[in-house]
Amino acid sequence: MSVTSLLAPSAEGATARSVAGITLEVQERGAGRPILVLHGPDPLAEDAPVLDRLGALGSVIAPSHPGFGGSPRPEGFETVYDLVQLYAALLDEIGTPAVVVGCSFGGWIAAELALASPQRIAGLVLVDPLGIRISADPLTRDIMDFFNTHPREINRRSWHDPARAPDYDAMSDAALIRHARARDALCLYGWDPHMYNPRLHAWLHRIKIPTLVLWGESDAVVTPDYGRAYAAAIPSAAFALIADAGHHPELEQPAAVTEQVAAFLNRQPAGEFVR
Amino acid sequence: MKAWYLCECPYPFVPAEVLASADSVRASLPNHYVDPRHAADLYHEVLDEFLLCDELGINVISNEHHAGINCLFGASPLFLGALARQTRNVRILSLGTLISVRKDPVRIAEEYAAADVLSRGRLEIGFVKSGGSEMASGNANPVGFVERFWEAIDLIQATLTHHDGPISWEGKHYRHRSINIWPPCWQRPHPPFWAATGDPGSAAELARRDILNTVVLRGPEGTKRAWDAYKTARLDAGMAPAGPDRFAYSAFVYTGETDEEAVRIGSQLLWFVNTSLKQAPQYGKLLPGQSPPEAAPVLYRSKPPPGGAAGRPGAMLSGITPEQAIAQGLMFAGNPDTVVRQINEFQAKVGGFANLVLIGRSGFMDHAQAEKGLRLFAREVLPRLQDPVLASAA
Repeated sequence: MSVTSLLAPSAEGATARSVAGITLEVQERGAGRPILVLHGPDPLAEDAPVLDRLGALGSVIAPSHPGFGGSPRPEGFETVYDLVQLYAALLDEIGTPAVVVGCSFGGWIAAELALASPQRIAGLVLVDPLGIRISADPLTRDIMDFFNTHPREINRRSWHDPARAPDYDAMSDAALIRHARARDALCLYGWDPHMYNPRLHAWLHRIKIPTLVLWGESDAVVTPDYGRAYAAAIPSAAFALIADAGHHPELEQPAAVTEQVAAFLNRQPAGEFVR
Repeated sequence: MKAWYLCECPYPFVPAEVLASADSVRASLPNHYVDPRHAADLYHEVLDEFLLCDELGINVISNEHHAGINCLFGASPLFLGALARQTRNVRILSLGTLISVRKDPVRIAEEYAAADVLSRGRLEIGFVKSGGSEMASGNANPVGFVERFWEAIDLIQATLTHHDGPISWEGKHYRHRSINIWPPCWQRPHPPFWAATGDPGSAAELARRDILNTVVLRGPEGTKRAWDAYKTARLDAGMAPAGPDRFAYSAFVYTGETDEEAVRIGSQLLWFVNTSLKQAPQYGKLLPGQSPPEAAPVLYRSKPPPGGAAGRPGAMLSGITPEQAIAQGLMFAGNPDTVVRQINEFQAKVGGFANLVLIGRSGFMDHAQAEKGLRLFAREVLPRLQDPVLASAA
């Protein structure tokens, strides 16, 4: 599986869902307990193996954030605050407390969501999440600059195996347009402060939901040490490394990620999760 | 015809092998390549050129770019202040403080009002949208910069035109609780506004706002396209037709004793497009918010499609020769007769403009060469340029 296809446009498999009057492109898999998957810099492609694998654990709902993929971005919808309110509304609609899986930028949204709507979340899985600042030294950058970094360097930092990096020359026109649209949206939401909320770290201790923090061992966008600090700030969190993965373990090691999620769900006391 | 002199005060004295191997000559090139003592000499030379213009009757332009070999005038308002005090006669155009990069348009208006007062009403205010590398240097979100551009103009205009105590502004991008600058501007209701764009949609918006449109290095077709959009938008808005005074064209200009001398010396101006525009993809074509996503197939692939566009306007000029630049109306260079003819021919093609911006010194052109070209232009060319109203009617 090359990432070129992972970044490809969703085919007819995606459906449109209206949440709080906002149209979302959504991919759905499986049945049972709801699992909301919040994507990172690019939406998950229809054939991303992690979707089917998570679909074996429950009812997967994987929306494309407004401005990404096929989801339109409403006028004025420009902040992480908007994204958190939107997904809080989606969780309200779902009703049954969901497992929320957030990757990279989506991990930031998931952490904010856990503070905004804890009663709607049964378990939280953060995969290389962004969203907080750890270092006290202002000259230290915790999170790679997603926008003013050469693509060659972004690829080196993002992938355990750089051969999995997107090959722009091989991607279809539609996939490139989708990727550029995602970059625009990510930049709008996350330019400044770059990919974090300065106040989030201080409030993570309020998350009481069972939480699993997964980190690609080779991630050089945000290092495993940042991940350990993230997990340490959440009293209920466990931390695990994913071998042979960089910033996108859900794409590079979907089986290992899914096994960790399954074991995490099984560890919770009976009745904690609805099957 | 009014002439305006522009020199960005470039710093070309970085080893060629460094420029060749660097991803980018803007934003990321280390500043240890700049010798501050050499920069001081350049500042004084270029300010002296502006003072020469003050004697010759050529108006002057203070501009701004950041963190690159193309321009040492990053702290633009400082140099505007020097011009406002040291010149005595000509008009001074700031083209301009990068309004979509600076955080506080009220402070920009305050600086402009002070320069207008210091110069006793000789200021003109130009707005530019900024390029991608400026977003990094200015820490400004590259997505939404056009929206910020228009709101910043609105806020600056409101700041310059209110005189009865504090007003407040709660816009989408800017908020300010107490706007009441001292002193207010000298000219009323405010100094003339300019903006640089070759994009027809933006030109139309300038027309509706009655802002003078300068087009930079676009040649006759691109220039006419922008100005036609401007003229149409004025009529559609029920405004008086746009005369030549609403337009300026910016080009490389060098006047020599002979055609050969002018082309030989003037060709150094092309350093601007051939060397100083090089920027890494993360500051240009791959920076979010700079192009519509639909352009991605051209911008992201390592090779453009056969016959496809190479991307943004600046990139398409790279590698141009003096002959091509003259043929495309990007450069006016020759003996005085030649330059007069080239400019009048360009006038006829685009329908008349009353302002010519001379990009008169760039790259390795030295101070003496720049001054010689200015003197010849002022003495032999400027008095003979065709009346733009007649050109407009032609």
